[in-house]
This record gives sequence, C-alpha cells and structure tokens, in this order.
Amino acid sequence: MKLVIDNVSKTYDNGVKALQNVSLEIPKGMFGLLGPNGAGKSTLMRTIATLQDADNGSIMLNNISVRDNKQAVRKILGYLPQQFGVYPKMSAEVLLQHLAVLKGLTKKNERNDMVNALLHKTNLYDVRKQNLGGFSGGMKQRFGIAQALLNNPRLLIVDEPTAGLDPKERNRFYNLLSEIAENTIVIFSTHIVDDIKELCTQMAIMNKGKVVLTGNPLQLMEKLHGRVYQKTIERRALDAYKKQYTVINDKLFLGKPIIHIVSDTVPNDGFVPIDASLEDVYFTQINP
Amino acid sequence: MWYEIFKFELGYRIKRPETYLFFGFLLLFSMVGVDFIFQGVEMGLMKKNAPLVIAKTMGAITGIFMIMVSMIMGVPVLRDFQYDTEALLFVNPLTKRDYLVGRFLGSFISLLFIFSGLLWGMMIGSQMPWHTAGELLPFNAFAYIQAFTVVVVPTLFFGSCVFFVTGMLSKKLLVVYTQGIVLFVLFLLTKAITNEYLQGILDPFSLTTLTQYSKDWTIAERNSLGITLQGILLVNKLFWVGIGGLVLFFGYRKFSFSVLAKKPKRTTKSTKQGVANSEGQPIALPKISLHHSFSAHCIQLYELSKFYTLSLLKETSFWAIVGCGMVIILINSVSLGTVFGVDSYPETHFIIAELQEMSMYFFIIILLFYSGELMWKERAVQQHVLSDATPIPGLVPITGKWIALITIYMVLMLSLIVTGILFQSASGYYKFELEVYFSGFFIEILPFLMVYTFLAFFFQSISKNKFIGIFLTLIFFIVNMGTEYLGFTHSLYKFGGKTLGIYSEMNGYGHFLKPYVWIKLYWMAFGVILLILSSLFMQKGTEISLWKRLQTIKSQLTKPIAYAVLSVSLIFMVLGSYIFYNMNVLNPYWTASQKQTFRANYEKTLKPFEYLPQPKITDIDLLIELYPETRSYEVKGTYRLENTTAEVMQEIHIQKWIAAHLELGDVVFDMAVTENRAYSKFGYTVYTLQRPLQPKASITMKFTQQSYPKGFEDTDSDIRFVHNGTFFNNEILPTLGYNRRYELNEETERAIFALGSRRKKAKIDDANERVNARSGGDADGINLEMTIGTSGDQTAITSGKLVGRWTKNNRNYFTYKTNEPIVNFYSVVSAVYDVKKDGWQPASGIVQAVDLEVYYHKSHDYNVDRMIAAMKQSLSYFSTHFSPYPYQQLRIMEFPRYREFAQSFPGAIPFSEALGFVLDIDDDTDVDMAFFITAHEVAHQWFGMQIESANVQGQHFILETLSQYAALMVLKANYSEEKVRQFLALQKEIYDDKRKKATSEPSLALVTNEDFVYYNKGAIAMYKLQQLIGEEQVNKALQNFISDWRSHTGTIKATTDRYATSRDLLQYFRDVTPEDLQDALHEWFETNAEIKE
Repeated sequence: MKLVIDNVSKTYDNGVKALQNVSLEIPKGMFGLLGPNGAGKSTLMRTIATLQDADNGSIMLNNISVRDNKQAVRKILGYLPQQFGVYPKMSAEVLLQHLAVLKGLTKKNERNDMVNALLHKTNLYDVRKQNLGGFSGGMKQRFGIAQALLNNPRLLIVDEPTAGLDPKERNRFYNLLSEIAENTIVIFSTHIVDDIKELCTQMAIMNKGKVVLTGNPLQLMEKLHGRVYQKTIERRALDAYKKQYTVINDKLFLGKPIIHIVSDTVPNDGFVPIDASLEDVYFTQINP
Repeated sequence: MWYEIFKFELGYRIKRPETYLFFGFLLLFSMVGVDFIFQGVEMGLMKKNAPLVIAKTMGAITGIFMIMVSMIMGVPVLRDFQYDTEALLFVNPLTKRDYLVGRFLGSFISLLFIFSGLLWGMMIGSQMPWHTAGELLPFNAFAYIQAFTVVVVPTLFFGSCVFFVTGMLSKKLLVVYTQGIVLFVLFLLTKAITNEYLQGILDPFSLTTLTQYSKDWTIAERNSLGITLQGILLVNKLFWVGIGGLVLFFGYRKFSFSVLAKKPKRTTKSTKQGVANSEGQPIALPKISLHHSFSAHCIQLYELSKFYTLSLLKETSFWAIVGCGMVIILINSVSLGTVFGVDSYPETHFIIAELQEMSMYFFIIILLFYSGELMWKERAVQQHVLSDATPIPGLVPITGKWIALITIYMVLMLSLIVTGILFQSASGYYKFELEVYFSGFFIEILPFLMVYTFLAFFFQSISKNKFIGIFLTLIFFIVNMGTEYLGFTHSLYKFGGKTLGIYSEMNGYGHFLKPYVWIKLYWMAFGVILLILSSLFMQKGTEISLWKRLQTIKSQLTKPIAYAVLSVSLIFMVLGSYIFYNMNVLNPYWTASQKQTFRANYEKTLKPFEYLPQPKITDIDLLIELYPETRSYEVKGTYRLENTTAEVMQEIHIQKWIAAHLELGDVVFDMAVTENRAYSKFGYTVYTLQRPLQPKASITMKFTQQSYPKGFEDTDSDIRFVHNGTFFNNEILPTLGYNRRYELNEETERAIFALGSRRKKAKIDDANERVNARSGGDADGINLEMTIGTSGDQTAITSGKLVGRWTKNNRNYFTYKTNEPIVNFYSVVSAVYDVKKDGWQPASGIVQAVDLEVYYHKSHDYNVDRMIAAMKQSLSYFSTHFSPYPYQQLRIMEFPRYREFAQSFPGAIPFSEALGFVLDIDDDTDVDMAFFITAHEVAHQWFGMQIESANVQGQHFILETLSQYAALMVLKANYSEEKVRQFLALQKEIYDDKRKKATSEPSLALVTNEDFVYYNKGAIAMYKLQQLIGEEQVNKALQNFISDWRSHTGTIKATTDRYATSRDLLQYFRDVTPEDLQDALHEWFETNAEIKE
C-alpha cells in the first residue's frame, strides 16, 4: 500500500498556484503534512480525495490512477475535510446512517453496528438523536471523524482534524488515529507542529504550493542539531537582529521576545545553544 | 451608515447575474404580454394598447412574477444569516434602522429596475410587426408609465414589504419560495367573494379592481382614459400599501440582531456530553462488508429515496402547500359543472377536474423549487465534501432524489383526493369513484410531472446555482407552451406531449388513452436519458466550472452507464418510430398551414359550383353497420334524387366527407354516367348524365361508405365514433355540390390566401340562400328508412318509428322508418343505455299519442323525470297553441361530454352528458334548467322541424328565439313567476356581459351568429312582447305563421320555393299588435337598442 504523488500542479482560475510540481511518496502509517495557511495542503488533500483534479502530474495509489479511477479510490477512502457542513435539522445518527449507505454499507445490521461503535468512539453516543445544527464546533468535528471512519478506510485523509477540539478530545483522537494507522495510510495535515511530532513517522513541509522538506521528524531535527541558538532580547532590537542573523522564530516569553537563530558558527552576543525542535525545523523552511 | 448598506446591497445586485436574467426575462415576456394575457379574450373594439389593457396586462404579469419579488426581497437578511456574516455585522457600529433601511431600499431599487423590464417590454411589444394596424392606438409612452406607476409599483411595494419581513423573520429559503403561493391563495380567495366592491378592494393585483374601475366606461373611454389613482383603485392601492407598511413596521419591531444571531436551541441533553459513555473503554470497530454491486446500488437507491422523501416531508413549506391546496379546493369546489347558473352533483369527475385545475400551480411550484432544493441539497450546506468522496455512482443519488420528488407529488395527490372525498361527503354525495380519482391524478397529471421533473433536474445539473436552474426550467415551460401558437404541436417534439383530454363517464378516456400512454412512455425514455446526463453533468467535488465538469465525463462514462444510455436511447427511438408510424404514416399528419392551404384551394377551385342547380334528395335508405369496439363503420346507402327545378340537369356533383380512412365507393346511378375525377383530391366527383334529368324526373344513386381507423392520431381524433356514445349526423354522408363548410373561416387566414372576406350569413334578401333552409340542405324533406347494426350491448337510435329489431351474430339491429317527410337532418347515436319510457296522451283526439323515451347512461338518472315532465308539458302546450306534433315518438339520447349541447332532430334529441343529466337542481334556489333545456329542444320540433327558416340573416331569430319563447311559456305555466324572473335576470346578465365585449350587435331581425342576441336578448324581447300584447296574441301569430310557412305544406310555402325569413315572422307579430304599440315591436326586434328587462 503506497501513495505516490508525482509532479502534481494545480492553478486555480483566479491565478493562484496552489500546487507546484509536488512529488511525495506516502507509505502506510501516519504521514504529517505541515505548512502555514495557504500552503496548498488542503488542495493536495482534496485532489487525493478525488474531489478535484490536478492540472498535471499523477497520483497513484497502488498503481491505480486517482484521476482516472476515482470510484476505486473512494471505495477505500475516508476523508475529513477542513470545512464541511451538515444538515442542521438532522441527527448525527441519521446522517451517519445516510453517509454509510453512500459508502456502500448496505447491510442494515452491519451499518447499525458500525454507526453505534463510531458514536461511542467519538463520544457522541449520548447526543446521537440531537440535531446537528445544535452541535458545538468540537462535536461537529468529532462527527466528521466518525463519518470518515465508517467504511474502515485504507486511505484516510484528515485535514486539520484537531481544530476546535479540546486537549482531552485531541488525545482521544490521536489514539484513535494511531490505532488505525497500523495498516492504513493516514495523511494528516496541520499547522500545529507538536501534533506531527507526537504522531508521525513521516512528514512533509509545504509552503506556497511546494514541498520544501520531507523526512522523518527525528532525523530532520537531528540535521539541525547544534546549529540553533536562543536569546531573549528587547523588543525594539528585533529588526536589528533580523538583519544580522538568520532569525527563524521569534515568540514572546513573559512579554519579551525570544528569538531563535540558525548559525553554523557559534555566535557570541549572549546567544545560548539549544536542542533543535521540530518547530525550528519548520521555521527554517518557512522563514528563510 | 444606512447609505453604506444601501450601496452595498445595490452593488451586490449589480454583480448578480439573476438581476439581468430576471430583467431580460420580464422584458421578453412583456413583449408578448398583451397577447398572452388576453389570448382568447374577445377584445371587441378595445385596442391592444388601450390604457386599460396595458394596466390589466401589467397587473397580471406582476401577479405571475410575484415569485421574482420574493426571490429578490426575501433574501437580503437571510443571506447574512446563511453565509454566517452576521457575526461580522454585529461588530460594526451598525444600528438596526440603518441595517434594515439600507437592505430594504437597496433591494427595492434593484427590484424596480428588474420590473422596469415590464415597462420597456410592453412598449417594445406594441411596436412588433405581428399586430395589425386596426388593433392599436397611436403609441403613447405616458399611458405605459402611468399604468406602471399606478398599478405595478404599489403592488411591488406591498409584495416587497411582506416578502422582506417573512424572509427576515423565518430565515428559511423555502419560506421565501413558497410565500408566493400564499399570495396566490389570497388572490384566489378574493374570487370567492360575492360582493363585487369588496372583491375589487381585496384583489392584491388589482385585476378585478380595474374591471370595477372601468365598468361604466364606454368603448371610447376604454380606449382613451388613463388609469389614475381614484375611486376603487385608490382604495385598493391604499389598502395593500397600508398592509405592506404595517407588515414592515411589525417586522421592524420584531427584528433584532440577536434574532439574526440566534442559533437553533440546544437540547438540555447536551449537558451530559463528554463524560458518560465509553470513556477509556476501547471499542473495537466492528467488521463490516462494503458492497458496490448492482444489488447494493438498488438497496442504496431505496435508502436514499426514503432519506430524501423524509427530508422533504419534514419541510413545513410542503405542509403549508398541502394546507393551502386543501383550503382552495374546498372553497372553489362550491360550484361545479355550472350550466346556466345551476350547479351539478359533485360527481367525482367534476371534483377531479377542479382538483387538477387548482392544484396545477402547486405542483409546478413544488416541481420548480423542490427540484432545485433537492439537487442542491448537499451543496447548500457544504455537505457535498463528505458525500462526493463516497463511492456511490452519481446516478444513484439523483435517481433517489427523483423518486423522492415523485413521492412528494403523490402525497399531495393523496391529500387532495382525501379533500375531494371530504367535500363530497360534506355535500351529502357518497358515490366516491376512487378509480376516477386515481386515474385523474396518476394517469393524467403524474406522467407530466415525472417528465418535467427529469427536465428540471437536468437544468439544475447544468446551472451554476439553484436560481438559474429554476429560471431555465421556467423559461423552458413558457417557450414550450409558446411554440404551440407558432404551430409546433407534434407530440414527438413537443416536450412531454399533450394532455389526455376530457373524461366522460359514458366513454371513460376512450380511444384517447392509447396514444397518450405511448407518448408519455416516449418522453419518459427521454427523461431517463436526461437523468443520466444530469448525473454526468452534475457538479461534483469542488470543481464547479461546467467546462471542467464536461472534461471529466469521459472518465465517468463507465460501461454500465454507457450501456444504459445506449439502451434507453434505443428504446426512445423505437418508441418514437412507433409513434411516428402511427401518427404520420398510418394516419395523415397535416400541419395547420397544410390544412389551411387545402381549404383555400378547395374554395378557389370549386366555388364556381356553389349555386349550380342540383337535384334534391327525396328518399334515403341506409344500412349502417357500427363497430364501436374499433370505432369503424360501413354504410350502404341509396338516395333518390329529383330534379325540382324547371330546367334539365346534366351533371350531378357528389362531395365526399373529407376524413382520414374514409372511403366512398361504388357510387352507382340507375342511369349511365361518365365520371370526372379531376377534383378527386377534394373528394369531389362530377357525374355527367348521358340522358339529362328532366324537371320532376328522378334518379337513384347507390353508394357504399366505410371508415376503418388505423393506429392513432396526434390530434383531431374523431369524437363522433367512440367506444361508447357514438353520435354523428348526416353531414358525414355524401352531399350534393359545393360545400361551404370546407371554406376557411378566419379572416386573417383568408387574407393570407387572398380570399375575400367570408360572410357569416347571407343578406336577408339573398336570392340564392333564401331557397336553402341550411347550408347545403340538399333536400326539401325526405323519407328516411335506416337499419343500424351495433355491438351486442349497445342501442342505436335515429329518427323515425322503430319498425324492426333483432339480434344476429351477437349484434343488435334496429330499423327505423319515418311516416312522413322530415327535414334532411338526422342523427345516429349508439351507446350502452338505460331507458325510461313514458307516453303522452293528447287532450283532444285530433292529435296522435306520442311515445316518450329517455336513453341515459346508467348513473345519470337524476333528472330523467324532469326531462319527461318537460317533454309532456311542452308537447301539450305547443300542440295546443301552435300546431300538432307530427311524429309518434320523441326521444332524448345522452351522448359523451366532448360536445356540450343538445340538438333537435326530427323526433330525436341528442343531449350532452355535460348539459342537464347531472345538474343538482335545488327547487328552492335554482331554475329547473333540465326542464327548460328540454322544453327548448322540444320547441325545435316546431321551430326547425316544422318551420324551416331561410339560411339568411335573422334565421336564428326564427329558430332559436322562438324556441326560447316557447320554452319560457312552458316554464311559466309550470313554475312560479319568481323562477321566470330569475331566468330572465340570468338572460339579462349574459346579454349585458357579452354585448359589452362584442364587436357589433345586430337587431334580432338581422341576427347572424351572435348567440347573446338570439338566445338571451331574444328571450327577454319575446317575454316583453307577450306581456305587452298578451300570450294569446303571440301564440295566435305563431300559429298563423306555422300554418302559412310550415315546410312544404304551409299555405304560402307550398306556392314558393323560398323559406320564411324574419321579415315574414315580424309581419305576423305586427298583425296582432295594436297600432299604438307598433313602435315597441320595432325597437325590440328591428333595432339594437339595449333591451331593459
């Protein structure tokens, strides 16, 4: 089981180049897709999920072309889009049943079992009769997860799945995902770096429609090892530092900026060497 | 701040394609607006661009397109809610007033722009080349602007207020769609109001108001006076604008931003969320199997149909429609099958006809909007990103949606049927014919809806959004109807085919059902192709441009889909070929222009023969074999022809009845003839006699005629020969000489072929026609002997005494023979009948007894006794006061409701199913019209059968007016004076109504085809005459008139070959009228002065 994305490009009608020559190889297991808003993650995922076609390039799933054989892909696909709607005046249970029918669960008892199991898994069982219009953001997200899993997918695409979930829910969800990922390709997009670190064995960083880095998170961090330094500075000095060093990250700690820089030589000037985090890897790619 | 919102709203509308679509549509529609709204309305001398006509057209078009008002005005607030922009709006320092005023005004100005299409369209339309100069006044832009301002703008304002507020408060798009219906219901309700003034006030579109407003106007005023805000119109407009303002005020008070923001309530259950179940206990996901086989798709189809049906049934708007429908039916069914002010029994076919008519609007609304709703169901809430990534083939959900919509129609149909049954029970009528209910909806309406639903789905699938889809469907509807007027009528390319036509209790759907079913199957096959195409064109995933979608079709076109398309196309073509074979190969298919050309050529070629002297028929001997099962017949006939002129005759011209599959053969004379078939394409043959026919000499002509219909026709299917209820008269048999009936009638059509204008009736002193009792009468009295064979369950009836009756080969045979000459006008009927027999014994011994018989359809026995009573009373009165009744039998025979009249033939009166048999006569409130119509027809046994009248102006004064008088006298003798007054009041009402619309009104003495003169004015004038000079005197005049002019034996008639005219008749009246009252006589009968009751 392997998904091969080869040289895929997509330009929207308004001229935005959402994907530019993207090539990736995604094996079984959790695959993280990291990138800022607008990097093209969702476009790539929609394309894999058969909702739209790339302008050129190919996506092959076990030698099946996703573009030409959408039905074959859909049969094993689970997809949780970043944004989706639901019929507000319908209950979670009814809509899950409906989507299960669409996915081919035509045996009624199997369908009922599956819907019930997923309602439990996503902790929606108690509110299964409630109208979806009354769901909170987190509940709706859990509903989205449940529907993505209805057909025991072999290819699971989840686009920003943890948005709106509280930490406890997020953990539950991660457990669920890693359980599934044992024999499934799970493609998982996020802009939260920590999510990837916790879950993924393979990852890619995208920026402005291009894949800028792929690899194993630990190995990627290893590459930066010994080259990242940190310093707490005055706010007004920030611009000056940016000119002088390769500042990859600046954030506030107790109201004062802390900056991270990459440097092959040891900078003096009060910088302290630190262990490279995945976040640093990310920012070296995004803010070069 | 409100100005910003206003600008924003305008800007939004300027960018939206609907704005221009609606505008353009109104523009185009209004160009044919007057012709569309006033089609079939007798305009009389009123011009097509008279201010009143403009105003009415504008009012009606505004009413029809209220739905646009709803679509523009209902959505502005809703839009903010739908697209979740409301949160952004609260943040802004925006007051409720600014927000609402801006949104309302912005939308209203856009709406005015859209509806200005109506104004420009009508102006342009008046300049279009299809009008003739005489129909128009000089162009006057002010009349248009005035009507627009006075009639349209207030209506728009009212609609805007109401729709804006309902859209804002309900926040539901479906409510926005359906509120147009509510207004329509309101409009219909006003029709039920009997108080005219109140009705005028309450009409939201001001149509009745305008009628009221202008009711006292003369023709000149109608053509010149502008429509200004005064009188009832002012009250009407104030009323509706006031209501609009009130609604707006109420909405303004009720609305708050928090209303906008309020999400549906959460149930209290949700407090438990997240704690209870399954925390920490890992639940293994069960094993499942996925199915993508054909049988799995069938299960999916079933589940999806159920899913979509239930979701539609949950819509309150649907139940609102059902409720409205039921209310309307209950209100409108109050008067059914009304004939001269008397209602019929609520028989199921009446109810169903009413239900069909009233509910059509609802069905079309459901079709238009719910098809959009269903097709965009996923996309409207952004759910498609979930469902489009599932492996279900696109055809399955779309088919499920189609089935769901059809189910919804059926639910509405069933609730309407229940309403109908409730109505019948409430009226104390318990003969519920469920099969008639079901066939009325499920055979007559459902196939139409099915076919159009396919179409609506298709338009939705290629459209960018719901509105465009709805509009494309609507435009198609109108175009499809409109092309009919341009002559595009063939069912093979007229989308959906035609309607089934009239249901007759006697004949059911008859032979009309078969072509109907084939045509519907053909269009259903086409619909299935459309559905498959829709599933391919439909938006899927996030790709929305039609062009990109079309590119993906190749990959979607899997083998099963391709095979499905191919096989359905094959079925479609086979059905089409079969239908074409029936309609165009087995039967001749004539377009309208081919028919016209034929008629024009007939006239041009044969007109010179019109008054060529021809012999008269004196004896007719017929053997007619009817085969009702196949609608065929065979005739063997013998005519005896006599030269009644003073000159020798060389030629005999025989005109065959022109009809498909009719064959006239073996025309043989008992004398050698040569045949000239130069005119055979007109069915016209000239026989030259080898020895000329001397005056007073006779010749015998034998012929055979047969007709075996083949397959089925597209239109013009014969209604004379049907499975049960055959009714034809001798016009279908060979006639002598040129036949005027084939001439083109319409003046505009005649002009195309450069034919001069055709007189409706010859002038009163036209020498040629004064010797004819009817067009192509061919005889001055005949002896008739006829044997009719028909199927074993039917009875066949014609004029004359029944002299033989037997059964052979399971067929019934009847022989009828006249004992004295009758006019050459006789009919044959054949149907399964119940019969009621009675007899009339004359008071004096001079007259012979008469057998009375009423032949009726088995369930139509309601008024048979009234008819018998009318026959008896009429025979008594007429034979006492006018002259003896010449025959020994008088029969009434019911025939199917395809034709709605009763007609007298010698001793026989065919009487339509629609006319008197099912009237529910309440002796307290109604005039006994079954009695009156019967008396009128019996009177024709005198005026028509005994007195014939020359085929010139005033002919109907003698035939119809005198029959009206005679019947009225019988009514007067048997019913109270109050009933007579009620009857006269109705005559007056019809007369006033029709004369106002008529182009011209002749006097009774010179009346031609103006039925309101010879029926309605005639009845009043004759009633006044007998009040003035006394019933005795009038009867004496008529008695003398008959004795002098009685056909062939009258003292004057025997000496002349001409027939009586209205001048002769008036002389008899003058003779019995005192000198000082002669002026009144002149005024009533010889002028067209308005007659007062």
